[in-house]
Amino acid sequence: MKKWFQRSYMGLVFLFLYLPIAYLVLFSFNSGKSKVIFSGFTLKNYADLFTDQQIMQALLNTLIIAGISSIVSTIIGTMAAMGIQRLRKWQRNAVMNVTYIPVLNPDIITGISMMLFFSALGISLGFGTVLLAHITFNIPYVILAVMPKLRQVDYSAYEAAEDLGASPALAFRKALLPQIMPGVISGFLMALTLSVDDFVVTFFLRGVEVETLATVIYTTTKTRISLSMNALCGVMVVVVLIILILANLPQKQQKPKKEERI
Amino acid sequence: MENIIELKDIHVSFEGEVILDHFNLNIKDKEFVTFLGPSGCGKTTTLRTIAGFIQPSQGKVLFEGKDITALPPHKRQVNTVFQRYALFPHYNVYDNIAFGLRISKTDEKEIAERVSEMLKLVNLKGFEKRNVTSLSGGQQQRVAIARALINNPKVLLLDEPLGALDLKLRKGMQTELKRIQRQMGITFIYVTHDQEEALTMSDTVVVMKDGLIQQIGTPEDIYNEPRNPFVADFIGESNIIEGLMLRDLLVKFEGVEFPCVDKGFGENKPVDVVVRPEDIEITEPKEGMLCGTVESVTFKGVHYEMMVRSENYLWKIHSITYKEIGTRVAMEIIPEYIHIMAKEV
Ligand SMILES: Nc1ncnc2c1ncn2[C@@H]1O[C@H](COP(=O)(O)OP(=O)(O)OP(=O)(O)O)[C@@H](O)[C@H]1O
Ligand SMILES: [Mg+2]
Repeated sequence: MKKWFQRSYMGLVFLFLYLPIAYLVLFSFNSGKSKVIFSGFTLKNYADLFTDQQIMQALLNTLIIAGISSIVSTIIGTMAAMGIQRLRKWQRNAVMNVTYIPVLNPDIITGISMMLFFSALGISLGFGTVLLAHITFNIPYVILAVMPKLRQVDYSAYEAAEDLGASPALAFRKALLPQIMPGVISGFLMALTLSVDDFVVTFFLRGVEVETLATVIYTTTKTRISLSMNALCGVMVVVVLIILILANLPQKQQKPKKEERI
Repeated sequence: MENIIELKDIHVSFEGEVILDHFNLNIKDKEFVTFLGPSGCGKTTTLRTIAGFIQPSQGKVLFEGKDITALPPHKRQVNTVFQRYALFPHYNVYDNIAFGLRISKTDEKEIAERVSEMLKLVNLKGFEKRNVTSLSGGQQQRVAIARALINNPKVLLLDEPLGALDLKLRKGMQTELKRIQRQMGITFIYVTHDQEEALTMSDTVVVMKDGLIQQIGTPEDIYNEPRNPFVADFIGESNIIEGLMLRDLLVKFEGVEFPCVDKGFGENKPVDVVVRPEDIEITEPKEGMLCGTVESVTFKGVHYEMMVRSENYLWKIHSITYKEIGTRVAMEIIPEYIHIMAKEV
């Protein structure tokens, strides 16, 4: 009885979570115009999607912004984490608490505050400001992903590398980076998804002409009724799913190694 | 023999705490030198100064006569076996050992040859593909040695490399290290706080305490001619008793006069007398001899360890003859076994 209840409860949760998405994706294959009545299978909506100039431009923007912002924030975040790790305990705690603030802050506050900040500086909103904003809100996530790995790192391996003739930069690459790599990768993928996902911050900082997938979906669902939006959502779900699977792969490989160590 | 490393008036302090002060030491080429001293006396600090991980705030490090004080670790021709091995956990045995050669861009064919040479040297053939984290302490230790030796360093620094091993393995590795040192013909600078290890392996022992060198010498010198009570006590077991140097070749302690071989202390000068437990012979008490009563007897395998109380001192004696507790015995010491030290001022 208890087991049955547990199972159906789980089922219900997943149903609520995934049914709307499944519904959305299902109707992306609808040959009719309705979002309620399924009249037949087609790929036409996807074809429309990939010929739509506005959407393709938005997709390109999303990829460029996500790509650049996640790479840059991964580099800055990793370096920051290494710096933080070397601080004294109370300094480290202070910096880590400050790092948490943007993570806990609602996006809308991040978005509005940055918009006001850029306007105050007289910087016109557009592609550049969106990119800067994405880099900024990604950095704390990278730091949070890298820190735990840094804490486990064996620093003497770094000294050993130097001792064997590696310059400090090379010693870092050969001896430290491989040890923290799982954290760096998961930070990078986190940044990537957050950037692709983001609507609120982008919305406030995009100015007039810059569209990303999230903003284009928002504006078009208000004006046009088109199933190609469903198709777009379908594509995004698949993309996010792939990133998620990638994010989990390295951890799975990591596990058996750890067990050996114990 | 040339000095390969010279430390000149080195000063190192951490956060205001002085660790090494006016530290001077010359190390000869192809020598097996051991730093010996209690925990925290600055052995690792000295080693790290030679390796280049610590910049002394004062003084110079010379390598083959050239000043290398400002040279970063990766440009020094010394390699280190670290206190806790510091292997690369993400590489297997082969890649760990090959590391140094890969850094110097040696071609893979030569690397393969050198690595297999090294594996043979440290008796780890067939372990190439093993993950280093799956090796035993002794095996990891040997990988660390092979990794440090593959660069053909002129000097190998070893920081308590056998500290984590059990007694039997440690003995085996001691012989093996000594063999490797002879075979490669290079200088070993070895750190330990195990006095027996220091005595059996070294050409020269440097006894340290609180960042100060207490004595430098061959193991025999250090053992037979300790310069002060600290060295006498730290190196092996010893009886240290206050005495009076009556004149050259004659010392008096516990009210008995003993002929000895030391001279040059002056007349009627207070001194410290060192006698090793195995150098005291137990005989039948007679008039005018140093006598005492047996207080305890412990069987130690090869010998009995006896504590014998004389008037003012409790003697530790290693003897193969058994005496019961409470027996009155005499202690005979031949002149060669009496070592006189000037009183510290
Ligand atoms: N990085 C550091 N910061 C502050 N103090 C240090 C540092 N490294 C060493 N010390 C101090 O310097 C002193 C000497 O340390 P060192 O590591 O040289 O001792 P050691 O002789 O190697 O001891 P052990 O046998 O325990 O390894 C110790 O009192 C230690 O606390
Ligand atoms: Mg040490």
